[in-house]
Amino acid sequence: MKVTLISIPVRDQEKALKFYTEKLGFIKKLDNPLGGGNRWLTVVSPEWPDGPELLLEPAPNHFEPSKVYQEALMEAGVPYTQFDVDNVQEEYDRLIGLGVEFSMEPTEMGTWKVAVFNDTCGNNIQLVETL
Amino acid sequence: MTFYEQKLRSLQSTLYKNQEQIDAIIAVRNDITSKSETDLNLDQLSKTHLISKFHLIRLFKKYYGLTPRQYLINVRIEKSKALLQKRVSVTETCFAVGFTSLGSFSVLFKTRTGKAPAQYRKEQLSRSFLLADRESLKNHHSN
Repeated sequence: MKVTLISIPVRDQEKALKFYTEKLGFIKKLDNPLGGGNRWLTVVSPEWPDGPELLLEPAPNHFEPSKVYQEALMEAGVPYTQFDVDNVQEEYDRLIGLGVEFSMEPTEMGTWKVAVFNDTCGNNIQLVETL
Repeated sequence: MTFYEQKLRSLQSTLYKNQEQIDAIIAVRNDITSKSETDLNLDQLSKTHLISKFHLIRLFKKYYGLTPRQYLINVRIEKSKALLQKRVSVTETCFAVGFTSLGSFSVLFKTRTGKAPAQYRKEQLSRSFLLADRESLKNHHSN
């Protein structure tokens, strides 16, 4: 068994694709129509194109509990997904410059530094740097 | 402040309250990362950072989940992947990242990446040729 995919629930796949590629800098890997306007849409990190794919899936539109869960996480500021970066402060500055909103500014937590932003598709995402 | 941030901050006050200790162990990690290609050992780390050997291992494991040795091996393996991708030979890579035995390098590499170094290098090579082919095809079509 291999781990190759991480699912991110999104309300609007096209908007998600724009945010994840234009703001975060990911690269589109797969985009297959699944009927009903839904797509099997994945992106990868340019720093690790062979690494796991992020699946931007429209689950909240089709499965009510997914929507409820996503809303509760958003409300509590809880990130369900996190990405590793070399420097949280630099990435924070870059994303702030692109108009991305953070619910938690770069904060040191022992041997980690973390920050949390809103992906505009219904999710909090955490950036992590190992100190 | 969000619920999440409150939770994190309360975790910090229990788990990460000894900032002096944390700073010391972060310095140890930086030392390992920046000197990973040298014959770094526990005696040196212990002397440089004025922490007894056993305490150092225990603290490192507490904060990073690995022993310093395991961590050093991971850093070296990551660096060796980058070299193998650049077509450096397996033997050269092995010594360049700080291993002293080709046999142990191969074993450690395989347990962490699932592939022997030679196989990994070969796959990366064919992959880069494939990409180069695709690029030249693209250029050919656009010309």
